[in-house]
Amino acid sequence: MNEKLRDLILTDIAAVLLGLILSGLLMLFLDKNPIQAYSVLFTSVLNDKYTFAEIFVKATPLIFTALAFAFTFKANLFNIGAQGQFYIGAIISVAMSLFLGDSIPRGLALIIIFALTIVGGALWGGLIGLAKARFKANEFLVSMMSTYVALAIMNYLLRTKLLETKMEYPQTDPLNPSVWLPIFIPGTRLHIGFILAVVVAIGIWVLLYKTPIGYRIRVVGMNPDAARLAGISASKLYVIAFMISGGLAAMAGFTEVNGVQHMLVQGFNTDIGPAGLGIAILANANPIGIIFASILFGALKVGGTIMGQMSGIPASIIEIMQGFVMIFVIMSYFVRNEIDVRREKRKLRKVVGQ
Amino acid sequence: MNKPLVELKGITKYFAKVIANKNVSFSVNDGEVLALLGENGAGKSTIMKILYGLYKEDEGQIFMNGEHKHISSPKDAMALGITMIQQHFSLVPAHTVTENIILGNVKGRIDWKAYEQKIGELAQSYGFDIDPTARIKDLPVGLQQKVEILKALYLDAHLLIMDEPTAVLTPQEASKLMGFVKEFTDQGHSVIFITHKLKEVMEVADRIIVMRDGEVHGDVKREDTDELELSRLMIGRDLKPPKKSEDAGGKDRKVVLSVENLSVIGSDDVPKLTDVSFDIREGEILGIAGVSGNGQQEICEAIIGAIPSKSGRISLAGEDLSEQNIRERLETGIGYLPADRFRDGMIMDMSLAENMLLKESFGDKWLKRGFLDHGRLRRYTEDIIKDYEVKAPGAGAMAKGLSGGNQQKVVVAREVGSGGKFIIFNQPTRGLDLGAINHVHKTILAERDKGKSILLVSTELSEIFALSDRIAVVYKGKIQGIFDHNDLTIEKIGLLMAGYNDDKGVQA
Repeated sequence: MNEKLRDLILTDIAAVLLGLILSGLLMLFLDKNPIQAYSVLFTSVLNDKYTFAEIFVKATPLIFTALAFAFTFKANLFNIGAQGQFYIGAIISVAMSLFLGDSIPRGLALIIIFALTIVGGALWGGLIGLAKARFKANEFLVSMMSTYVALAIMNYLLRTKLLETKMEYPQTDPLNPSVWLPIFIPGTRLHIGFILAVVVAIGIWVLLYKTPIGYRIRVVGMNPDAARLAGISASKLYVIAFMISGGLAAMAGFTEVNGVQHMLVQGFNTDIGPAGLGIAILANANPIGIIFASILFGALKVGGTIMGQMSGIPASIIEIMQGFVMIFVIMSYFVRNEIDVRREKRKLRKVVGQ
Repeated sequence: MNKPLVELKGITKYFAKVIANKNVSFSVNDGEVLALLGENGAGKSTIMKILYGLYKEDEGQIFMNGEHKHISSPKDAMALGITMIQQHFSLVPAHTVTENIILGNVKGRIDWKAYEQKIGELAQSYGFDIDPTARIKDLPVGLQQKVEILKALYLDAHLLIMDEPTAVLTPQEASKLMGFVKEFTDQGHSVIFITHKLKEVMEVADRIIVMRDGEVHGDVKREDTDELELSRLMIGRDLKPPKKSEDAGGKDRKVVLSVENLSVIGSDDVPKLTDVSFDIREGEILGIAGVSGNGQQEICEAIIGAIPSKSGRISLAGEDLSEQNIRERLETGIGYLPADRFRDGMIMDMSLAENMLLKESFGDKWLKRGFLDHGRLRRYTEDIIKDYEVKAPGAGAMAKGLSGGNQQKVVVAREVGSGGKFIIFNQPTRGLDLGAINHVHKTILAERDKGKSILLVSTELSEIFALSDRIAVVYKGKIQGIFDHNDLTIEKIGLLMAGYNDDKGVQA
């Protein structure tokens, strides 16, 4: 186990380094100095508390959307609609926050908003599961299309009921600070939503591996025929899995609205659903792995922004850099596998004494 | 005659977590039929795939006519005159016989007429009745195998390796194949015959290599050995077939499972079961004999509620099950060992412990404060591993890492545990090696002696006769009759299975 953990850390570091070196070569073609660019990157990330904390701010919603994809994935279902469920969560969070304002104490208000957000996301996701269970609809397509419906609902509300009082832009009024998520490192934007995300990820791990319902979800995902003969009803679990998944994605809406934006703007965070999907696959749908993979993604995002701002590197190079790092991280999985196989062979040889 | 054609010296092959072959050495002589005998997983196919260039040996050497050869692909092997017929044929179903045979050995414009004639003549010279223009997908398996053999003959093979060639053949086809093997070797060629069937070995082989656990455990001439010695070499110990206690008690024992006038209509509107009725008493084994696909699967699935029945009544210990769903029925104390454990019985990507939980995740049997009690489950599974002699590293081992026989022992243990009153064993020993079959049979008899009622479905008549107290024969979804096991002979049961009935003649 220790050897495996060591391999994991070493290969992941190697993958990130390879990605940086390869994109450094690309910078040379553009007559930019990669060493200078990277030193700007590292000094600003490591020296500046605010920038460093930004990594975790960016990772927070990704943990939720990645968990949303991973959870249904364990039941061999594809929830491609995390983006839409995220929008639903954001709508409910902003509507409830505006409605409550400072009328009740912060803690109570946040708990109510959080709970209602989850309920809304769960109902939205549950509809997809219901379509799958009742009508054998393809959940991949239904969930993907549901994102556009959610987007349309959000855009409509931003021009009508939720439109700001100035009535200039399609966005809401700023939230009353009494419903903001508290910052836990002063001088940064790092709010308690990150802690919430980590706790939820651990909770999902417990749910999947330590409870009967999680066990049944995995059984249905791995072998639906055996599950049926064991008396496990797949259709009920499809609905439950999608409800939980929708609730998870909606939590990202809560932490983004109440923790970062403090309002809802049309067309914000358009890529956290797809990014979550990539993270979930990167982490092999393991909830604990998702925490670390999300932080890696957060770091890439923050690093990219800084390099763009401080060293005049074009944004396209930064996206290529992110792409390279991702590809190498995914490839490292196969490298680790190969290392593992070779080690087992060596051990066997030693055992038989040859 | 006694010149070695191919010699293997000290071949060792490691797979990721197992040793497939360990220091394997043997030779094949010119004009010889060599049988490679061993149980599933003994390493027979692996060593032959090394000789055929599909796998690369980790250690050891191959000699041909005394010369050291490197065989790194089937192409190299074929150039040396070695051809292997895999268990799963490597033919293109949409292509014709001729196209398949010349595949990879032609260049430029193809003169089809000439090739077809050449292959037709080759087939006739060995008495194979094959049309060179027929498409593979239209041919029965027996003929497909002959096409594979023709392919080898076309390439002028000196050494033909056949991996379990009789597994897909009827007894008549198998004896024809044996005839071909004799004819082929009479011309001075050699054959290596991979098998786990002792009878075939005694019929066809000149010399026998016995393999066990990846090592050679015997190199004997056929005339110097017998089936008993071979089975001992193959298994590594003597097998004592379980003995059934004769009492079966009787007609006065309580009826546990009762099936009355059960009828099932398939999804294609074809009747799958018609008016099936039987009782099973306490401590009794009812065997269901029949050719595969005559309603056995439907009987099992209708009893546990996996398929709906059109009419009829199923009751267990007096309780009517007809209106209950699968889960409720299982909870009344039914164990069900499905015929296809890969599809229906196990979760291959889960650990053994998690597989033991499959039917007991409802209720609080395995809960501790609302969470799964993995510690207790693990200890329980470790006990099962010990009691059932499962060869596995521990309760945390993945199911897919075990051999078929050991997987089956785990499923049997689970169903024995959850079937408190009544257990269905559907094809419990299909594809298992002799040691595992013996163990499963012992378990079934032990459960009967504990007073459980057992429904045993099998297409192996020897299994039905060895274990059953009473035997029901099915044909086209109907029961042809239920007999005491002493009142049936193999001949009579054979006729019943084929649809003949004493007084009524052939049934529709």
